[in-house]
Amino acid sequence: MSDRRPAASALTAAPADAPAALTQLFESLRPDLLRFAHWLARDRAIAEDIVQESLLRAWRSRDALQEPGAARAWLLTIVRREHARLYERKRLELVPIDEVAEGYGAPRQAGPDDDLTTLRDAIMRLPLEYREPLVLQVLGGFSTEEISRELALSKTAVLTRLFRARNKLRVLCGLAAAPDVADGEVPA
Amino acid sequence: MTCDAARLQIGAEPASSNPALEEHLQSCAGCRQFRDEMRALDANIRRAMEQPPELEPARPVRAPPPVGWQPRAWRQWALAASVALATFAVLALWLLRPTDTLARDVVVHVQAEPESWLDQQQISTPDIVTALRKAGVQLDLTSARITYAHMCLFRGRYVPHLVMQTASGPTTILLLRHEPVTARRTFHDDGMSGVLVPLGQGSIAVLARGGDGVEQVAQLMQQDVHWLPDGH
Repeated sequence: MSDRRPAASALTAAPADAPAALTQLFESLRPDLLRFAHWLARDRAIAEDIVQESLLRAWRSRDALQEPGAARAWLLTIVRREHARLYERKRLELVPIDEVAEGYGAPRQAGPDDDLTTLRDAIMRLPLEYREPLVLQVLGGFSTEEISRELALSKTAVLTRLFRARNKLRVLCGLAAAPDVADGEVPA
Repeated sequence: MTCDAARLQIGAEPASSNPALEEHLQSCAGCRQFRDEMRALDANIRRAMEQPPELEPARPVRAPPPVGWQPRAWRQWALAASVALATFAVLALWLLRPTDTLARDVVVHVQAEPESWLDQQQISTPDIVTALRKAGVQLDLTSARITYAHMCLFRGRYVPHLVMQTASGPTTILLLRHEPVTARRTFHDDGMSGVLVPLGQGSIAVLARGGDGVEQVAQLMQQDVHWLPDGH
């Protein structure tokens, strides 16, 4: 990125009279935000940029944060949107959405020692449309309803994407793929 | 509830449940097994996500040897042998390395996206052409079967990464507008063969496993790709 900032804390840009408690709260959440951004962006340096920009945005709109307990979810949402903004600026929008699990070819059997490494690689290789709801759910702790609001998708579409994400990971971990579901299929 | 509906729900939210699902699971061993597998997988996904690959902590530093510790003679020989082996390995790698680091980066990039060669669904060519224009690339291609098209981070810039299906199999094309090469260069690395061809101020990388058809695609791309001026 041409406009990459130094990795110094975003909060150094905060006014000198910044409430110390809020500063401390934001900083304490920085590792979570960085981890979250990294899974979305798949690049450490870009993730740092995203978190930096997100914390600046959060600081500017800090009045919107009513409850300190809601800070984590609020900041994660800002990070996701910042990533989406960056992604929209950078990507080509031409990859078909409806990829299914069998696209990954032969299953790979992981040994006990490299299960997590295999999974990390597999998660990193998931297309964003599947990786994003999975990261929001697993790492962000968002409910399906919250994810559907955040991604502007129907609840069914979110369930389908989460199902497909895990189904792809199943295959990459050597398990049999479950039959895919049609878009818009609603559980009976 | 059908098995498909149960598996959709389990796959989407392995930890959650409801009476309809539980009732189905009572009578369906297959779905029960599926849930057990998905819950185990989900626990691993959770653990895996706690630590993205590049954020893994450094390996712990070993404690220094106790005072008065002396290496045994066989250890010194083993150490010497290890050093010799490592030297040999480095030398071998150096001798076998691709002569072009750009070519090596291309190979490494393609290896990092193995799924790019597995997609079979053709992407609409007009869509690709339109999207590439936004990235400053004019592509006059009309009949090629493109099955993969992404903007990828490569050497600090986002570049178009395409896969074209040819009679010889999938062939990768990277449009490297900001990577000049002075002359056409072929390369062979890790079972892949490719070619870097100059195009204006940039270059095009084309490679395939085995290398069949690479030259043809490279020629096609040299004819059909044009860099658009900045701010087009």
